[in-house]
Amino acid sequence: MGIWEAFLNWLRSLFFKQEMELSLIGLQNAGKTSLVNVVATGGYSEDMIPTVGFNMKKVTKGNVTIKLWDLGGQPRFRSMWERYCRAVSAIVYVVDAADRDNISISRSELHDLLSKPSLSGIPLLVLGNKIDKPGALLKEDLMDQMDLKSITDREVCCFMISCKNSTNIDAVIDWLVKHSKSKS
Amino acid sequence: MAQPLIKKDDDRDDEAEYSPFLGIEKGAVLQEARVFNDPQLDPRRCSQVITKLLYLLNQGETFTKIEATEVFFAVTKLFQSKDTGLRRMVYLMIKELSPSADEVIIVTSSLMKDMNSKTDMYRANAIRVLCRITDGTLLTQIERYLKQAIVDKNPVVASAALVSGIHLLQTNPEIVKRWSNEVQEAVQSRAALVQFHALALLHQIRQNDRLAVSKLVSNLTRGTVRSPLAQCLLIRYISQVIRESGSTQTGDRPFYDYLEGCLRHKAEMVIFEAARAITELSGVTSRELTPAITVLQLFLSSSKPVLRFAAVRTLNKVAMTHPMAVTNCNIDMESLISDQNRSIATLAITTLLKTGNESSVDRLMKQITNFMSDIADEFKIVVVEAIRSLCLKFPLKYRSLMNFLSNILREEGGFEYKKAIVDSIVILIRDIPDAKESGLLHLCEFIEDCEFTYLSTQILHFLGVEGPKTSDPSKYIRYIYNRVILENATVRASAVSTLAKFGAMVDSLKPRIFTLLRRCLFDSDDEVRDRATLYLEMLGGDGEIVETQKDVKEFLFGSLDVPLSNLETSLKNYEPSEEPFDINSVPKEVKSQPLAEKKAPNKKPTGLGAPATEPSSGIDAYEKLLSSIPEFSSFGKLFKSSAPVELTEAETEYAVNVVKHIFDGHVVFQYNCTNTIPEQLLENVTVIVDPSEAEEFAEVASRPLRSLPYDSPGQTFVAFQKPEGVPAVGKFSNILRFIVKEVDPSTGEAEEDGVEDEYQLEDLEIVAADYMLKVGVSNFRNAWETMGPDFEKVDEYGLGPRESLVEAVNAVINLLGMQPCEGTEVVPSNSRSHTCLLSGVFIGNVKVLVRLQFGLDSNREVAMKLAVRSADEAVSDTIHEIVASG
Repeated sequence: MGIWEAFLNWLRSLFFKQEMELSLIGLQNAGKTSLVNVVATGGYSEDMIPTVGFNMKKVTKGNVTIKLWDLGGQPRFRSMWERYCRAVSAIVYVVDAADRDNISISRSELHDLLSKPSLSGIPLLVLGNKIDKPGALLKEDLMDQMDLKSITDREVCCFMISCKNSTNIDAVIDWLVKHSKSKS
Repeated sequence: MAQPLIKKDDDRDDEAEYSPFLGIEKGAVLQEARVFNDPQLDPRRCSQVITKLLYLLNQGETFTKIEATEVFFAVTKLFQSKDTGLRRMVYLMIKELSPSADEVIIVTSSLMKDMNSKTDMYRANAIRVLCRITDGTLLTQIERYLKQAIVDKNPVVASAALVSGIHLLQTNPEIVKRWSNEVQEAVQSRAALVQFHALALLHQIRQNDRLAVSKLVSNLTRGTVRSPLAQCLLIRYISQVIRESGSTQTGDRPFYDYLEGCLRHKAEMVIFEAARAITELSGVTSRELTPAITVLQLFLSSSKPVLRFAAVRTLNKVAMTHPMAVTNCNIDMESLISDQNRSIATLAITTLLKTGNESSVDRLMKQITNFMSDIADEFKIVVVEAIRSLCLKFPLKYRSLMNFLSNILREEGGFEYKKAIVDSIVILIRDIPDAKESGLLHLCEFIEDCEFTYLSTQILHFLGVEGPKTSDPSKYIRYIYNRVILENATVRASAVSTLAKFGAMVDSLKPRIFTLLRRCLFDSDDEVRDRATLYLEMLGGDGEIVETQKDVKEFLFGSLDVPLSNLETSLKNYEPSEEPFDINSVPKEVKSQPLAEKKAPNKKPTGLGAPATEPSSGIDAYEKLLSSIPEFSSFGKLFKSSAPVELTEAETEYAVNVVKHIFDGHVVFQYNCTNTIPEQLLENVTVIVDPSEAEEFAEVASRPLRSLPYDSPGQTFVAFQKPEGVPAVGKFSNILRFIVKEVDPSTGEAEEDGVEDEYQLEDLEIVAADYMLKVGVSNFRNAWETMGPDFEKVDEYGLGPRESLVEAVNAVINLLGMQPCEGTEVVPSNSRSHTCLLSGVFIGNVKVLVRLQFGLDSNREVAMKLAVRSADEAVSDTIHEIVASG
C-alpha cells in the first residue's frame, strides 16, 4: 500500500468513515438474512428462502460502513463458518429464542466455533431473535441455556430482538457502531 | 492473418520482451494471494494475483487440496468488491479451481444474486459458473432464471445460458429438455452467436429423435439462418439427416438444392462446409459434384492458406472415389506443388497422383523429384504410398515409377520412410510381373548398404521366395553371400536361409550353394552355423546332387500354422523325455487381443508385414495338467477350457471355482478350492456332482484332493462321459465333501481325528458356448464366400430394450463364445445400427462364421438379424438354437 493511500486512509478515519466487518452466523431459520435486511433497509419479509452459501452486504450507518457476511446456517455450511469469522470486528450469533428444541444444538455449535484459536479474542454478540413469538425465552434464560457465562476470553453481549417488529434493532446497531470505533 | 504474427515475432527479437509471468513460483503467488483477505481491497492488485494463479493452473501446476481450499475461500471474499473486472476474475478462478462439491456450494447464493443483477456481464458469467457447480436439486430452483436468460435480449447472457444448457444436458437431460420453447425462440435471434449456440442445443435435445431432427433442419432451411457458424452447423445436421435417410431414394436428393444454394453464400466457411457436405454424400453423382468442385477450385487460388488447405484436402478425398471430377483442378493444383505450406503441397501432389492420366505421369514424377528433397519423412511416406497406387493403376508406367522409388531409396531417410519404399517395391514386384527383375535388383542394391537389420532380413526372405523363380537366379547369389561376409549375425542367418532356398529350387546352383553353405559352418555365430548345418543336411550336401524332396520344400517355404507365442509356451512346458516334441500338440486357438493393440488394419497388404504376435494363453498349462493325470490321459486332445466360474460367494469359508475342460467325448470339471480358515485342515476333498439335470452326462472318474491346508489352493477333478461330438448341455449341482481337522494355531499341527462335513456349492452349467473355440479369420469376406451358402441359416430376433447397442453386441458375442473379426466388436458411439462378424470352431472341428446385424429403434429396442454359415447344417441350426434360447 502506497504512502499516499495510507495517508488517505488515515484522513478518512479522522473525518469520514469507520469500517467494520461482521460475520452473521447461527442455525438455519434463526433470522440472519432477515436481520441483514432489517439493518440495511428496514424492510421485513415473512417469505424467505434458505441462504445457500453466503450473502455479502455493505451497510452504512452514520459514519460507519459495515461489511456483513451473512452465512448459511444449514449443517453443511457450519464447518465453513470459521473461515468467514477470521479477523472480523465482531461475530454476531443469531439464535431463534422461540425454538427451544434447537437451543442446545445452537449452544454446542457456538462453543465449537469459539474454541478455534484463529477466532480468539473476537467480540461476540448473541442475539435472541423472534421475541415477538409466544413462548420465546427471556434474556436470562437464553444466556443461561447458551452458557454465555462460561465465555471469559472475549467480550460477550446479548440482546433480545425481533426482526419482525424491529424491536431492539437500534440497540444492536449502537453496540456495533461503538465497537467499530474501539476496534479500528 | 499470418502477417501481424510474424511482425510480433520480429519485435520480440529486437526488444527481448519476456512474458510478465516468466519464472513465477507457486509458493510466492500463494503468499501474494493473502491480499484477498485485506480489509481494504485493492481490486487491481487482486486481479493481477488471480491472473498469476490462473497462469500457473494453465501451465499444469497443481494445487494441493489445502492450497486450493485456502485460495478458494479467500477468493470468495472478493465478492465484497464492486469492481467488475475483479468480479470477472473471481468467476474464472472459481471455475478453474473447481473445488469439491461440498465447498463450492458456499458461492451459490452470491452467484444467484449476480445472475439476477443489472450488470449483463455479471449475469452471463454467473450463469456459466453456477451451471458448472450446480446439482439437480439446485438446478430446479434456478431453472426459471435460466429460461429467462435464454431469451434475454443481451446476446452474451443468452449465449451463456445456452452453452450452459449444452453442458447440463449431459447430467440433467430431463430438465434441459423442458427449455425447448425458449431455445427455439433463441434460434430466431438476430445475434449470430446466440443463433449458433441455440441451434447446437436444440439439436442436442432432439438428437435421439430422428424425425424431430429432420423436421428441425427442414424448417430451418426454409427460414433464415443468418449466422455463418449456425449455418455451418445446419449443413452438418443436414448431411447427417441425408446419411440416415438411407440411399434408397431415387431421383432428387432431399436438401441438395439447399446445399447447392449455400455454395453461393457470402461467408467462405459456409461455402466450404456446403462443398464438403456435397462431396461426402453417399453415392454422389458427378452432376451433383460439379458445383462443389467449382467453388473448391476457386479456393485453391485463394490468398488464405487455410482455404487452400481445406480445399486441397477435400479434393484429395474426392479424388479417391471420383478422380475424374477433380481433373479440372489439376492445373491449379500443379501450381500448389510449390506452395510454401508443405501440407498443402503434399496434398496437392498426392491428389495429382490420383487424378493424373497415363500421359502426365512422367511430367509429374519430374516435379515430384524436385519437391521430395525439401519435405519431411512423414510427407514423403504419403507421396510414396500415392506413387504405389498410381503404379498399380498404370502398370505400363512401372519403369519410371520404379526408377523413382529406387532413386529415393538411395537417398537419406528414416526407417519408416525406407520401409514404405521397400513395401511399395515389394508390392509392385508381386503385382506387376514385368517389374520383378528390375525391382529385385533395386532391392539387392539397397541391402548392399542398408543400416536397418529389419529391412535387410525382410528383403532377404523375399529374395529367397522370388529370386529362384527369375530367369537368371545366379546373379542374386553374390548380393546374398556378401551379407554373410559383411553383416551382423541376424542378417547373416537370414542370408543363409535365403541361400538354402536358392539351393532347394535351382538344381543347377546346388554345388555352388553347398560350397557357400559349408563356408558358413565356420561362422562365429551359433545360429548361423546351426542353420548352415541344418540346410546342408536337408539338401543332401554330402556330395551327390539329388532332386529336392517335397517335404524339404515345404519346410523351407511353408509358414507356421500355429501362433508363435503358443508354440513358445508349449516348448517351455516341454520336458526332455523319450517322447519327442509334437508340434501338433500346440494349441491353435488365438486368445483375443487387448483392444489397445488392435491398430487399424492396413488396407493394402504390406508385403513385409511381420506375423502378428499373440499373447500367450493359459490353455497349455491346463493341457499339461490334465495329461499328467492318468485317468484323463485317454480322453484325447483337449478341445477347450473355459474361464474359471466362481461357485462360492466372495469371503466365504471355502472359495471354490471351476474350470470346464471340454474333450470330444468327455467333460472334466476342475474344481480349484481354497481353504480360508486358518484353524482347519481339510482332507480327502471331493466334489459330489449330481447330473440329474444333465441327462446325457455320466460320471466316469473322480480325483479327490488329499489335503487342503489353509490358504494354499488345491484341485479336485470330476470327469463325465458324453456323446461324442455332440454339444450336450446340462446343469450340475455340486456339494463339497471333506474331512475337517482342527489345527492348533500356535503349533500349526492338526488333530488326529477329523469330522466328515459337506458344503453346498452353487450350480454349474455346461452351455453351448463351451463347445465353441475362438478362432479368428483374417479376411472374413473371403472366408464367408469360400464357405458358400449351402448351409446358411438366417433368422431375425428381437432382443428387447437394451441400454445401448454395445451391450447388446457384447451379450450376443458372449453367448456364442466366438471370436469377433476385423474389429467389429467395437460399436461406434451413437450408432443406431451395427454389423458384427464372428468366427469360431465348433466341437467336431466344424468351422462356423456368423454375421450379426443389429438395429436400434427409438424405443431402444434392439433387433438382430443372424446369418450363420458352417460346413454342417446341424451346427448352423445349433447356433440359432443357442441364440433363441439365450
